[in-house]
Amino acid sequence: MHTQFFGNFLLNKGVISPEQLVDALKVQANTHKKLGTLAIHSGFMSASEVEDVYITQTHFDKLFGELAVNLGYLTEGQVDNLLTTQLPDYMLLGQILVDKNILTHVELENLITEYKSVYEIYDLELIEEQQEMVNKLLSDFYLPEDLPHSEHILSYLTLLFNNLVRFIGEDFTTLNVMNLTEVPTNFCISQEVEGSFSFLSALDMEQETAITFASRYVNDEFQEFDDYVRASIEDFLNLHNGLYTVNMSNDFSMELQLLPPIPHENMLLETGFSFYLLPIMYSFGTINFLLSIKKMEE
Amino acid sequence: MENVKILICDDSILARKQLKDILVEHGYNDFMEASNGQEAIDLYKEHKPELVFVDIVMPIKDGVQAIHEIREFNPEANIIVVSSVGTQTQLRNAIMEGARDFVQKPYTNSGIADILKARFGGR
Repeated sequence: MHTQFFGNFLLNKGVISPEQLVDALKVQANTHKKLGTLAIHSGFMSASEVEDVYITQTHFDKLFGELAVNLGYLTEGQVDNLLTTQLPDYMLLGQILVDKNILTHVELENLITEYKSVYEIYDLELIEEQQEMVNKLLSDFYLPEDLPHSEHILSYLTLLFNNLVRFIGEDFTTLNVMNLTEVPTNFCISQEVEGSFSFLSALDMEQETAITFASRYVNDEFQEFDDYVRASIEDFLNLHNGLYTVNMSNDFSMELQLLPPIPHENMLLETGFSFYLLPIMYSFGTINFLLSIKKMEE
Repeated sequence: MENVKILICDDSILARKQLKDILVEHGYNDFMEASNGQEAIDLYKEHKPELVFVDIVMPIKDGVQAIHEIREFNPEANIIVVSSVGTQTQLRNAIMEGARDFVQKPYTNSGIADILKARFGGR
């Protein structure tokens, strides 16, 4: 789900003013997550139960977790679990708005439910056949055994297939993955993503293939290989990586940074790390998707 | 409206065209375009446009640096940050640097209409 869309969503609903949003974003960096917000996010407590604990806290000088256990809303195991849970940015933004008395917990809970349903399209589940294709593909990915968090690569590829289906079309099939140290390119767009998981991603294809790929992506009829075609491919890669960084932020509180996409033509691409080359065969031509993992921290 | 100078700063020619097309529909036609942060700063200093759209992720100097330098030159500069999906941290930094508002790509006609109305009203 899209973290920064939540602020936009609240503005469009007229629940907060632009000034209130900007104020909240400014304090967000220095705000600590609260157990009550975490409990709502994890689904252990409802918003009204959290309100109840806060009201009770005005009568008894006890910690939130202790009171919630006393009142039967949480078990001690759940409190321990919450203390190690990460909170996505949009929930933190919600917590700040509650702290500032702009929203109540119940209003926040309702808004988040609505927000999730509005943006449900971005959390599309793969249909069974696509899931099988992803699984088959992953068994071809010879990931080093000592590589931590190979599930991050799984979610990256799952999202890639989702985005290809969503924005380009489902008439593709994947061929076997190749492992290379360097890749000769045709028309190629690369983009680096930096953070505790750093990698280079790239799309490589013939110019003719790029014309159709771009036409499908922006719903236009490009006739020749020009700057608009180049920019469309960059935009697709940027959108895909952007959605991935949002997912990583929401699901793992991992903050990744996107660097600008870079075009390459007819050159040798190398990063000093090995490449996975994944050929994706469309009816109009084959697209090579390249992934080179530079760093993945525990 | 023809006197309103608008600076569009984005490294994607496609994104610049999409924004320009919407602005033309709203009757604006005086544009300057920059494809990186440094060009944006230079064009701003030379022409002092009344409204600036700045993409966050750009080569040479990114949007956050460009906003910082434009605001140093003119603290009253009217800057709208354009954020692509996945640029939450950079967006927050841009707002800290003094961007007035932000708009999320892909552009929508109604989103741009709201910004123009807030900035220029019936002008």
